[in-house]
Amino acid sequence: MSSNQMRTGKPETFTYDDEIVKKFVIATLLWGAVALLLGVTIAFQLAEWRFNFEIPWLTFGRLRPLHTNAAIFAFCGNAIFAGIYYSHQRLLKSRLFSDVLSKVHFWGWQLIIVSAALTLPFGITTGKEYAELEWPIDILITVIWVVFAVNFFGTIIRRRERHIYVAIWFYIATIITVAVLHIVNSLEFPVSFTKSYSLYAGVQDALVQWWYGHNAVAFFLTTPFLGLMYYFIPKAVNRPVYSYRLSIIHFWSLVFIYIWAGPHHLLYTTLPEWAQTLGMVFSVMLWMPSWGGMINGLMTLRGVWNKVRTEPSVRFMATAVTFYGMATFEGPLLSIKSVNAIAHFTDWIPGHVHSGTIGWNYMLISGILFYLVPKLWNTELYSKKLAHQQFWLATFGLVLYIVSMWVAGITQSLMWRAMDDAGRLIYPNFIETVIKIVPMYWVRAIGGTSVLISFIIMMYNFYRTIKQASVKEETIYEAYALDASSIEAHASAHRKLEGVPMIFSVLSLIAILVGSGIEIIPSLLADKYIVKVSAIKPYTPLELHGRDIYIKEGCYTCHSQTVRPMAHEVVRYGKASNAAEFVYDHPFQWGSKRTGPDLARAGGKYPHMWHYKHFWDPREMTAGSIMPRYHWLFDQKLPYTGIPAKMRVMQKLGVPYTDQQIASSIDDAKAQAKTIADELAQSGVPAKLAEMEIVSLIAYIQRLGIDYGSVPDEPAQEEK
Amino acid sequence: MKQQALQHFDMPWLPVSALILFVICFIIYFWWTYRSQNKNFFQQMAEIPLVDEVKHKRNLYE
Repeated sequence: MSSNQMRTGKPETFTYDDEIVKKFVIATLLWGAVALLLGVTIAFQLAEWRFNFEIPWLTFGRLRPLHTNAAIFAFCGNAIFAGIYYSHQRLLKSRLFSDVLSKVHFWGWQLIIVSAALTLPFGITTGKEYAELEWPIDILITVIWVVFAVNFFGTIIRRRERHIYVAIWFYIATIITVAVLHIVNSLEFPVSFTKSYSLYAGVQDALVQWWYGHNAVAFFLTTPFLGLMYYFIPKAVNRPVYSYRLSIIHFWSLVFIYIWAGPHHLLYTTLPEWAQTLGMVFSVMLWMPSWGGMINGLMTLRGVWNKVRTEPSVRFMATAVTFYGMATFEGPLLSIKSVNAIAHFTDWIPGHVHSGTIGWNYMLISGILFYLVPKLWNTELYSKKLAHQQFWLATFGLVLYIVSMWVAGITQSLMWRAMDDAGRLIYPNFIETVIKIVPMYWVRAIGGTSVLISFIIMMYNFYRTIKQASVKEETIYEAYALDASSIEAHASAHRKLEGVPMIFSVLSLIAILVGSGIEIIPSLLADKYIVKVSAIKPYTPLELHGRDIYIKEGCYTCHSQTVRPMAHEVVRYGKASNAAEFVYDHPFQWGSKRTGPDLARAGGKYPHMWHYKHFWDPREMTAGSIMPRYHWLFDQKLPYTGIPAKMRVMQKLGVPYTDQQIASSIDDAKAQAKTIADELAQSGVPAKLAEMEIVSLIAYIQRLGIDYGSVPDEPAQEEK
Repeated sequence: MKQQALQHFDMPWLPVSALILFVICFIIYFWWTYRSQNKNFFQQMAEIPLVDEVKHKRNLYE
């Protein structure tokens, strides 16, 4: 039954722009293969470091950001656009607003992806997880997102269906929230065309980054896919969603609650206690809307469960919704502080993330594509048998991935925390905990390979499907124009709201801004509250450059820089971190994973020679290490002339460098480099080392934790 | 000892107000959504994805 049955007026004929949907479908398949190939590559690199072939741009620290960006923005991004453009037109009974904007959107998005592929492997990165792209690409993303938004809302304005179906509510929330997240988190000050520093520092940067990072998951990998679920599952089984009313509750609860949950990534850090608790509470509350959505999706299949056995699209979508339920159960669980204390920084977290991205996103995308491809190309699926083989391979690979990471994560955590009765660490050498889990890294790599093979099977299946399509037809549709007859008599206020997309969008924006504002604004005003420690000084010119090398090589993907106030961490690393330590860190480098040890107190722990040998070949100093060699840093000359520009930008961001310090920065950097090189020369290292980048990285590592380490525990030297 | 800087926000009302706001909003839209008067309308709206209203197909090679 359609609302059109009550409508009068003039029927109009029109067509849909499915060519743009086809383009996004093909891009989804191509970039999906790239993202998975990158994931498998870095999985094998963790099992055996030589799989980087000692090529700088193939190392884990460079490829991991490319993998995450490719999976989220290239694979899932193109799938979102394909699904939205297909369903949006049909739900509104209107062709997309502009064919030109659609093409600009498509090619602009591909340009962004190619730009990422041409910058991240070469170390051009902001060093903020999932937001690594540098400022020119950030601007391009903003422009293309606006193009998408204009095309999307323009279509709503030209619609022939009065009511805006719930799937479109999820799309609206996605468009608005992603825009807010991207703009706020990407505020940075350029040093050059390929280098910038975050506007925020330390705790503020951490909070803004994880507000963004968590909500990138929420509003890029969840809400648009839920919208797609509410369209494609009913279509695939040809029956309405189980409860439309539940979908409304699902929408408003999810949009309101999700935005608050970011601080659960920063539990036990120097983030304000109340913000941590708030993040935890709202994360636990997310159980309700998430499971409401899952139940709604699965219950839509009531009476047609047999299709799960026979129809690939239904099978993949049902599995996706099931994994959505599992991932959204595990997420809040991991946000509970006592559980988080065990799981954070371990491999449990990548396991959780991939149960979402493979189990939910990949499976749902597959289901949508199995529905879309035959329809778009007006043909039958080439092989259901291949589709089922793909399904079992993907599921097998995913289970291997998740289970191996559970085992690895819990093993790591228990070994890190193990202490004897005298308060000594049972595994004081971090490498013991690494060697123990390497077998799990192999299992994970095999699981990932299985998922990659499943994807290649799907590509082949669709290639043959599209190839066999012969008749090219265009479907003509008919619907009534939107006029007064489309308005329900005696409509309530909310009913009218559903027909006024702009007001609806503003309310959605308010819902996400309430949570965002309460979380972020107090911390952005942290200057009023932060207890400054006079011993904390800005980095020297050489250390500043070394920090950029640290960011460039993606060290933060394996090493954290924050010590949690837990006995085992304090014994292993040193005293717990303090917010005042990070006030000059643009961007913060706390990391989210400890494949290697925390480095917050690494300064002065070993002599320069230890670091020199360690960067040349980590196995020389730590038997069994899985860290790559960084031999190219011993050959690349240190660009001293670029240091003053960096310091000037830092000065503008509030770091108290004087003009005189900036003027003498090159000489100061050379002098510090010579000091380090001279010390190394005494051990037989060539004197030319003072000119090489490795010296700056050693200088930076040797500075970590030194200033705060000099502050006596009691009483603290503090000043307001 | 003020070791944990940034923990001293003197605004406990802020998160509490937000929580109360959320609960109020939730009660309002829950009540509105499950009002019996809206049931039929929502059942109709749930059908929107299933109505394609095809008129005819045209072979582009004709």
